[in-house]
Amino acid sequence: MILLQSHSRFLLDTLLNRLQNIEKAVELDYHWAEFDDLRYHIQVTMKNLHIVLISVSLPTPPPETVFLSGLPAGAIEAIKAAYGSVVQILDPPRDGFNLTLKLNLSKLPTDEEYKHALLVKIASVREVVLGAPLRVILKQLASRTVASYIDPLVALVHRPKESFFLIPQAEKVTVVFPMRFKDSIDIVLATSFLQEFVDARRTAGLNNAPYCMWSPTPPLELKGAPDEALSVNAGFITFVILPRHVEGKKLDRTVWSLSTFHAYVSYHVKCSEGFMHTRMRRRCRILIEALDRAKPGMENARMQLNRSFKRLVCH
Amino acid sequence: MDPASRPAVVIDSGTGYTKMGFAGNVEPCYIVPTVVAVNESFLNQSRSTSKASWVAQHNAGVMADLDFFIGDEALEKSRSSSTYNLSYPISHGQVDNWDSMERFWQQCIFNYLRCDPEDHYFLLTESPLTAPESREYTGEIMFETFNVPGLYIAVNSVLALAAGYTTSKCEMTGVVVDVGDGASHVVPVAEGYVIGSSIKSVPIAGKDVTLFVQQLMRERGENVPPEDSFDVARKVKEMYCYTSSDIVKEFNKHDKEPSKYIKQWKGIKPKTGAPYTCDIGYERFLGPEVFFNPEIYSSDFSTPLPVVIDKCIQSAPIDTRRSLYKNIVLSGGSTMFKDFHRRLQRDIKKIVDARLLASEARVGGEVKSQPVEVNVVSHPIQRYAVWFGGSVLASTPEFFGACHTKAEYEEYGASICRTNPVFKGMY
Ligand SMILES: Nc1ncnc2c1ncn2[C@@H]1O[C@H](COP(=O)(O)OP(=O)(O)OP(=O)(O)O)[C@@H](O)[C@H]1O
Ligand SMILES: [Mg+2]
Repeated sequence: MILLQSHSRFLLDTLLNRLQNIEKAVELDYHWAEFDDLRYHIQVTMKNLHIVLISVSLPTPPPETVFLSGLPAGAIEAIKAAYGSVVQILDPPRDGFNLTLKLNLSKLPTDEEYKHALLVKIASVREVVLGAPLRVILKQLASRTVASYIDPLVALVHRPKESFFLIPQAEKVTVVFPMRFKDSIDIVLATSFLQEFVDARRTAGLNNAPYCMWSPTPPLELKGAPDEALSVNAGFITFVILPRHVEGKKLDRTVWSLSTFHAYVSYHVKCSEGFMHTRMRRRCRILIEALDRAKPGMENARMQLNRSFKRLVCH
Repeated sequence: MDPASRPAVVIDSGTGYTKMGFAGNVEPCYIVPTVVAVNESFLNQSRSTSKASWVAQHNAGVMADLDFFIGDEALEKSRSSSTYNLSYPISHGQVDNWDSMERFWQQCIFNYLRCDPEDHYFLLTESPLTAPESREYTGEIMFETFNVPGLYIAVNSVLALAAGYTTSKCEMTGVVVDVGDGASHVVPVAEGYVIGSSIKSVPIAGKDVTLFVQQLMRERGENVPPEDSFDVARKVKEMYCYTSSDIVKEFNKHDKEPSKYIKQWKGIKPKTGAPYTCDIGYERFLGPEVFFNPEIYSSDFSTPLPVVIDKCIQSAPIDTRRSLYKNIVLSGGSTMFKDFHRRLQRDIKKIVDARLLASEARVGGEVKSQPVEVNVVSHPIQRYAVWFGGSVLASTPEFFGACHTKAEYEEYGASICRTNPVFKGMY
């Protein structure tokens, strides 16, 4: 099964590596990027080797999505709840980033298991920050306390200048993804992938999975969304999340799966293309072999000519 | 947003290890073994069932295509279960299994670097002897499967030279001695251009050193479990081998003070979990010696590396030779042995001086020629010098202009990938 993990592998490895070699006293300064236009920066200076600065830049939100001082709603509370006193939020963040966290390695818990879990959580900063507003709404669903002040239609950013939509109700939350792809082949593959995805949902084993639906035109729920948010090339996919999908531990997984759904589809599309290329190469090789065998006069030529020439002909 | 504003992805896939990361950094994010573990049991299963169940067969194919691992995970999987077969996509510096290569890249991009290939320019590397067709294949995979916006395929030796260029001074003329895992090349470069006709290859590289160490340990009767012995030999090589200045002296040293020179290896038998130990003796210096005295390892090839380097420079255009001797750059993991550069420098200097003396004697000592400066450059990033050079070049603004773009690919086809222009920053 190809699923994306919620933590950044590189961030986790770097943090673990740091902890192990803390007395080696080397500086660290690293920039890297992640899907959906996230950028990270991690820095440790000689001044204090126990302080790690982690900066994150988020995708640019489209106009229909609100960011409060550069972060999605509820992000600050989510960070505080997830990390406690180990992490401090720097204000203002590093230039060009939305958020800078100051992690104090000497304040990490001593219990190995707990420490590891906390580091994984820190490496999942993306899920904590970008998933914050989604988590708030799904949590309300779990406790069935949907606040009445919430808009009937909530837009959340998941890719640069693109958002997906939530329709929170007391008994369910409907999630709609407008799907867009750049490449013409990707569009075709993604469309058929999504249709099969919906079909697969109907098989017996998946009765408890969220109900899902695909349509080429905007579903009724999206009435009132801005026009540019509704222009798509791979249709709309709708999920209906019920309280049982967000109970207890399932909440984290659901938040992650929903907020990276687009990346998941695009990963699958790429894998399918790779798969087809493998088949195409095999087919091509078989055809060439067949052609080679059919070359007239090959048998005689083989007998007359010396070896090196034969090799030349075959390649 | 324009992909050129994001850091380019630099992947240097070698026979042994792949180094990958984002341009502009000093180190690659990951160095993983270039290996894929594929689960082929699905395919075999379906073959035994009847033809009618083509759906099952198709699904089995799909499953086999999804069920694979790369790098250290792959090695682990193959060790712990027999359903996975290892496939090494690159051998002797050339890609020979494109299916595995494509899967390998897929995992590198999505699981290790976790980036969207549509968002980044890519810089890949190839060996100086790679055929243009192989570049076309690479281009096809990158543009068609991954939809990269731009691609540049660089010669790894040129990148290694570019790495030296920032650590010392601006010099794009030099000889790159690239000794990796499966291929060793001596590549003269003048002003950023590879002098193709003078490239020399040595059929001895890191894997051979490992095999030799393994053989020495086996012949001495060390009790290393056979299924683990290659791996142990590799680790022994990387941790304990060094270059000696003279083997006879080194043998004497070892014999006089065995306690100082003989090391211990502690391991755990993979099957029973029982611990074992073994000694590491002469192989510590005999391993790297295969580059300087190849006849101790191979009967087919007997030219020492310093002689190959000298021949290579002698075959280059005469006006470049002095500057080539002055800048001999090491790259690749197998040049990491302690004192490797000293020994190389000494041996080359010896050859050059002897030739100078001989030619002076020929003209009767009337003309005194200027001594030739020989300089073997070694730097701490040798292990991933190629990657580092790529990282430096891919963060210059000229890089994006030198890339082949997706639009060009669609207009002209894969043949554009056959050539990759040298750009500013390279000279
Ligand atoms: N510290 C070390 N000392 C000696 N050898 C080392 C060391 N570290 C790595 N090696 C060896 O270097 C080799 C890998 O080098 P490198 O990564 O440059 O090769 P590659 O790029 O994968 O191969 P190639 O360039 O030939 O295609 C391996 O054989 C490894 O055992
Ligand atoms: Mg290499």
